[in-house]
Amino acid sequence: MAAPDDDIKPDAPAAGTSAGAGGLLARPLPEGYRAEWARHIAAPRRETEAAQASAAKVLIFRLGREWLALPAGLVTEITEPRRSHSLPHRRDRLVRGIVNVRGELLVKVALGELLGTAEASDGERGTGFARLVVIGDAERRRVAFEADEVHGLHRCMEAELRPLPATVERAGSRFTDALIDWQGHAVGRLDGPALLDALGRGLA
Amino acid sequence: MLFLTFRIGKDRYVLDARQVEEVLPLVAAKALPGAPAGIAGLISYHGQPVPLLDLALLATGQPVAEVMSSRIILLRYPEAGEGAALLALAAEEVIATVQRAPSDFVPTGVEAGMPAYLGPVAADADGLLQWVKAPALLTDDIRAILFRPADTASGEVRP
Repeated sequence: MAAPDDDIKPDAPAAGTSAGAGGLLARPLPEGYRAEWARHIAAPRRETEAAQASAAKVLIFRLGREWLALPAGLVTEITEPRRSHSLPHRRDRLVRGIVNVRGELLVKVALGELLGTAEASDGERGTGFARLVVIGDAERRRVAFEADEVHGLHRCMEAELRPLPATVERAGSRFTDALIDWQGHAVGRLDGPALLDALGRGLA
Repeated sequence: MLFLTFRIGKDRYVLDARQVEEVLPLVAAKALPGAPAGIAGLISYHGQPVPLLDLALLATGQPVAEVMSSRIILLRYPEAGEGAALLALAAEEVIATVQRAPSDFVPTGVEAGMPAYLGPVAADADGLLQWVKAPALLTDDIRAILFRPADTASGEVRP
């Protein structure tokens, strides 16, 4: 049982906004509007719910010159780069040191060393900011690496995936399972579990 | 209960929002020559043909104004025995929804002689809202033409 006042109050602002929007929306339809929308509505649905479900989300980031993608499920945190504490008596190129991420001490690795990606020269650096990305899953140890730029999450459809060219012979390609066509770049999608396994072996 | 408001002529009407599948822009329709009054044609909704009923044409004889706020309301049309069919309604000022209790709506007192789709009315600050009862929008003969089962719609004349 609503009091009469309660009925009017929610309507009053709505009436005001609809009057304002109504003024804007009272414009006549542009030429070709109806025909263009008719074509759009008539087209088959572009992505069905099943396709949405099968689409995998990936995190797209840049290491040196190369854009790479990691399954979004493996990424636990993206944060500001911070000072890493070097580890004495560890002179390998993979381990860069220990970083403190909200109280948790994580090994920071140089992912580019494992993948063999080319370092960008100064002239080629993008406008993005470096980010510390923490990856890991339930079974494997979490590790951090520094990306030169993080684009963000991307939902990649099956149609955007390209098989790897047969001639790719770089060491890093053993972790790349497909290429994603993204904004004109061929982005290598990394095989997350294989990469984490390799990192785990490298750290042991 | 949520209602979608729209306008026919100068007056405001509401539809039960639960019956609304989608609100579309005013798309061009394929004309249906010889269709009953108010039927503006057919639109293709992702390949599915949906009859378009122009509410302004039905009620006032004038088609909806070709302005941005005129839109097409895609309604799930209850169809006895065959699940739900879709019906497209072209109306003006389809730009807002309103939350009202069904008990706010009271009979108009002039039901006799009015079209069957016009339901009870509710008052608000701007005047009266009239509830349009979607199932009664199409008279039986129009419904028989539009949603005729496929076997009788094949065009064959039976002896």
